[in-house]
Amino acid sequence: MLKIESLSFSYGKTKVLDDVTLSIPDRAVFGLLGPNGAGKTTLISILSGLRRPAAGRVEGDSRNIGLVPQELAFYPMLTARENLRFFGGVQNLGGARLRERLEAVVAFARLDGVLDRRAAELSGGLKRRLNLAIGLLTEPDLVLLDEPTVGVDPQSRAFLLESIGAMRSPARHILYTSHYMEEVQAICDHVAIIDAGRVLAAGPLAAVLGGAASLEEVFLGLTNRRLRD
Amino acid sequence: MRRLAALWAKEWLALSRDLHGLAVLFLMPAAFIAIMSLALSDTFGDRMRVDFAVLGPDAARIASDLEGDGFRAAAAPANEAAARDAVRQGKLSLVLLAGPRPVVLADPALPQPQVLAFRMRALAVTLGARPADLAQAIEVEAVGMPRGRLSSVQQSVPAWLIFGMFFLVLPMSSLFIVERRDGTLARLVAQGVPFPLILAGKIAPYFLINLAQAGLMLLVGRSVVPWLGGEALALPARWDLLLLAAACTSVAALGWGLLVAAGARTLEQATVIGGVGNILAAALGGIMVPRFVMPQAMQRWAELSPMAWALDAFHAVMLREGAGAALAPACLKLLALGAALLAAAFWLHRRRGV
Repeated sequence: MLKIESLSFSYGKTKVLDDVTLSIPDRAVFGLLGPNGAGKTTLISILSGLRRPAAGRVEGDSRNIGLVPQELAFYPMLTARENLRFFGGVQNLGGARLRERLEAVVAFARLDGVLDRRAAELSGGLKRRLNLAIGLLTEPDLVLLDEPTVGVDPQSRAFLLESIGAMRSPARHILYTSHYMEEVQAICDHVAIIDAGRVLAAGPLAAVLGGAASLEEVFLGLTNRRLRD
Repeated sequence: MRRLAALWAKEWLALSRDLHGLAVLFLMPAAFIAIMSLALSDTFGDRMRVDFAVLGPDAARIASDLEGDGFRAAAAPANEAAARDAVRQGKLSLVLLAGPRPVVLADPALPQPQVLAFRMRALAVTLGARPADLAQAIEVEAVGMPRGRLSSVQQSVPAWLIFGMFFLVLPMSSLFIVERRDGTLARLVAQGVPFPLILAGKIAPYFLINLAQAGLMLLVGRSVVPWLGGEALALPARWDLLLLAAACTSVAALGWGLLVAAGARTLEQATVIGGVGNILAAALGGIMVPRFVMPQAMQRWAELSPMAWALDAFHAVMLREGAGAALAPACLKLLALGAALLAAAFWLHRRRGV
């Protein structure tokens, strides 16, 4: 169980996270939902160690974190293979272990036919898959997926969702953010809805859904329809 | 070490595929060296040739005595009016009107030192001496100069090499900004790669590139410039000191590159700050215009430019054949600047985060 307790964070005088408390069970795919500016990316930044919270703490035994950011965070001028080797190398993977992990993530993300193509030349779906594969190189026990399906075609999205579902393992926590409610409803077993840095609802998917027909209905009911940007 | 090796390999690969960056680092200074060595060859007297004529009594003998050291006698105009026309039209640079009160007609475009040199020769001839004999009377020895004098290639190679070395700011900061913009830097930090290690991953490859630039620019001065018709660069006796001068220059350039990389928010900002900063430092520091032609006040201002310090270090090795102590002041200033800029880059990064 990964526990986030009373987490707060501000950018100057603007409070971005306000007393956020969440529990992410083992083996769960945890959906984190919120409108733009709700604090999702800041929460991921804190969980990945990029920012320090003003208050609160994160409890759990996750030391090996795999971050799959919203941006395509790799080197476009390098080939897919060079990117994977580089990100493996900077995480201290080498020799047989690097080869083994490289083969595993390539097979997982189905990148085998494009390994020697420059990342800049890959299609949107392949870039997303490379982004995901890099995040999984070290077999992380906490996977942070920040909108991993943005800008891909339906086939690639379906593949990515299946892959994320297949990442479940007993000792792994997966935190997934997306604006696509149907995606979250399809692959997450726990969800939290946050807005303006506060948790509006959290728990198992069925409990958050209550009697509502869709997660979108619950989301709009809690966060209202006011445009955020 | 494995992590550092991965960072180095990535930096090499990225730079080797950045054609614009490579052009800025290697082609630009090489082109400047070739062009400026040839363009300034007359100013430095490498191959000075000034055509003159003599009018008046005994003109043929006087013209013959005046010839030499770059002054070449041309056919004399028919009379003074024709001589003035020839000078006005740029056909002749100098005309000596010989007689009881000799007069030199000079092309206003001719540098003053050449006019003065001709006047001194004319004075010697008027007094019955031959300039060639007078020159032998007093020998000039340029102390430490391997070829006896400062030539345009001797000035241009270190100057434009230094300029090129400082231009690592562009490829270095470009990749860093792209890494920050695309979230790659955040990903590396999230994966536990310490920021100092990320910087170390950039420093070593660019240090080696700076040294490669130095080697290549010396080769350009030695081989390409003479092939184009200029003088060949005279190489120094102390290669170890030359390496030291290049290394100290590189430390300052690396500090500058990392500061711009950490401070600039966009590629445009990095290009403007890095590029304009370099051009100003070069203009001030005697890269574009040699410091000895600057007025005294400007020469004092030039001391503020790190490129002037670097040029002092290179000149100490390449022109004066100085020992290590001769390089020390310039090298210490460059190293101190590099350390200060690196500290500023760290501070900016900590303040801003990834």
